[in-house]
Amino acid sequence: MSNPPQMIELRDVHMRFEEKKVLDGVSLKVEPRERLVIMGQSGGGKSTILRLILGTLRPDSGSIFFKQFEITRLSRRKLQRVRQHIGMVFQYSALLSSRNVRDNVALPLEELTEKSRSEIDKIVDEKLELVGMGDSKELLPEELSGGMRKRVALARALVLDPELLLLDEPSAGLDPVIASVIDELIISLSEKSKVTSITATHEMDSAFRIATRMAMLYQGAIIEEAKPEEFKHSKNPVVAQFVSGSTEGPILEGSLDAITKK
Amino acid sequence: MANAEPPPIMIAEEIGHITRYFLREVGSVFWFIVNTFEETLERIQHGRVPFRAASFFRHTERAGVDSVPLAGLVSFFLGLTMALLTGYQLQRFGTERLIPGLVAIAFTRELGPLLTGIMLAARIGAAFTAELGTMQVSEEVEAIEAMGIGPLRFLVAPRMLALILLMPCLSMVSNIAAIFASSLVCKAYFSIAFPYFLDLVKDSLLIRDIITGILKSFLFGLLIAAIACYRGLTVKGGAAGVGTSTTSSVVTAITAVIGFDTLYNIIYTTFYPT
Repeated sequence: MSNPPQMIELRDVHMRFEEKKVLDGVSLKVEPRERLVIMGQSGGGKSTILRLILGTLRPDSGSIFFKQFEITRLSRRKLQRVRQHIGMVFQYSALLSSRNVRDNVALPLEELTEKSRSEIDKIVDEKLELVGMGDSKELLPEELSGGMRKRVALARALVLDPELLLLDEPSAGLDPVIASVIDELIISLSEKSKVTSITATHEMDSAFRIATRMAMLYQGAIIEEAKPEEFKHSKNPVVAQFVSGSTEGPILEGSLDAITKK
Repeated sequence: MANAEPPPIMIAEEIGHITRYFLREVGSVFWFIVNTFEETLERIQHGRVPFRAASFFRHTERAGVDSVPLAGLVSFFLGLTMALLTGYQLQRFGTERLIPGLVAIAFTRELGPLLTGIMLAARIGAAFTAELGTMQVSEEVEAIEAMGIGPLRFLVAPRMLALILLMPCLSMVSNIAAIFASSLVCKAYFSIAFPYFLDLVKDSLLIRDIITGILKSFLFGLLIAAIACYRGLTVKGGAAGVGTSTTSSVVTAITAVIGFDTLYNIIYTTFYPT
């Protein structure tokens, strides 16, 4: 078995949920320090790709590599160790509702490292300052707005200094200023801390801002991979329609007729 | 006849489906327990505490201390009723002095652990399922997993240990409450003084009965915690799913406790018939 030099590689990954085929032979490579943005329709399988990389889902067939580790073949114990090098920001933040902001961010450090209380506090403060949440440490998740939760989730994902950051819709539901702050943060992490990131989103502005490469997921397959500029001017009708947000094109073919006839 | 009876093959098929589902569930809960132990022991082997003491004590307080009034009160009333009903029957034969032993043996060996098991399955099992189920649907469990933290040792192990350790204590509370209640009935209706009551209890109660009760309690604790946590972590379908799983958890845990108790008694009486 060859050891791929990529940070992440997906080889011919197939996945279905009951009758619905979600991924139909997805192959993808992500180089270190790259910021890949996966675009696609809602429910199109973008989050599934992130979960497959994280190993919380197993594909029906195909292989997924994180550096030299084949995620799909790792034992539970090894997978847990690999996950400590990956940070994940969930679409709905997934903060632990019974713990305050500080405890949420401190959790990976408390559970997975031998650091002392003062060291943990220092790192937590540093990460919360980084996302602009330094003065909300004592608040519970229910007391935070959607944007604040997302920033706390990002701080928690960064607390173990991961090599790979997976972001599921990081700017969805955020105001444009906070969305830009998060985008800038993702960019600075890859430039300064050499963090590789994979972002699943359908927010165009955010996607073009952070991406060094973009991939379009459509009907379970990656139909286009390109740099942002090339992606913006793609000749592929699906990509062109998605980028322009037009109702005319292959994406809504059939379903639009059904909507307008009602 | 409009309502034709289903052909025997369909009935057999249905029985097959139910049996397969039952066996699959039993197997899943068994592996759930094994994986929880495995994950917890792995952590201990690495020289780390598997979960925080604060988390463990929070669950013991909720499952144990907070359940004392309920377990005590229900057992007290049941002990009272049992002593009264059996007392009047035994009085007809002049054998009312058998009441203390009867209540003591019945509760220590059987009713104490069983009642406590049913009460905890309803009170704490439901709470565990709802809590973990809500965490599951709000992706909190997945987030814990994504960080590289074992959700079984982090979420399940403290709950399981709390219930395993607290069940015998609560059974003991239940036994004492029932025996105390029957002593009041014996004194008030059958003129059995308290010291004589105690002598009769001591004469009839064997260490074997106490050990049986304690062993059962440990196992019931494990069973209730495992079923409740398993149901919680396998919730599907949002808030409605949490509701369905909570109901299912309570029903399954109560059925399992009674079923397991019967099985235990069959095995026990086979090996120790007297």
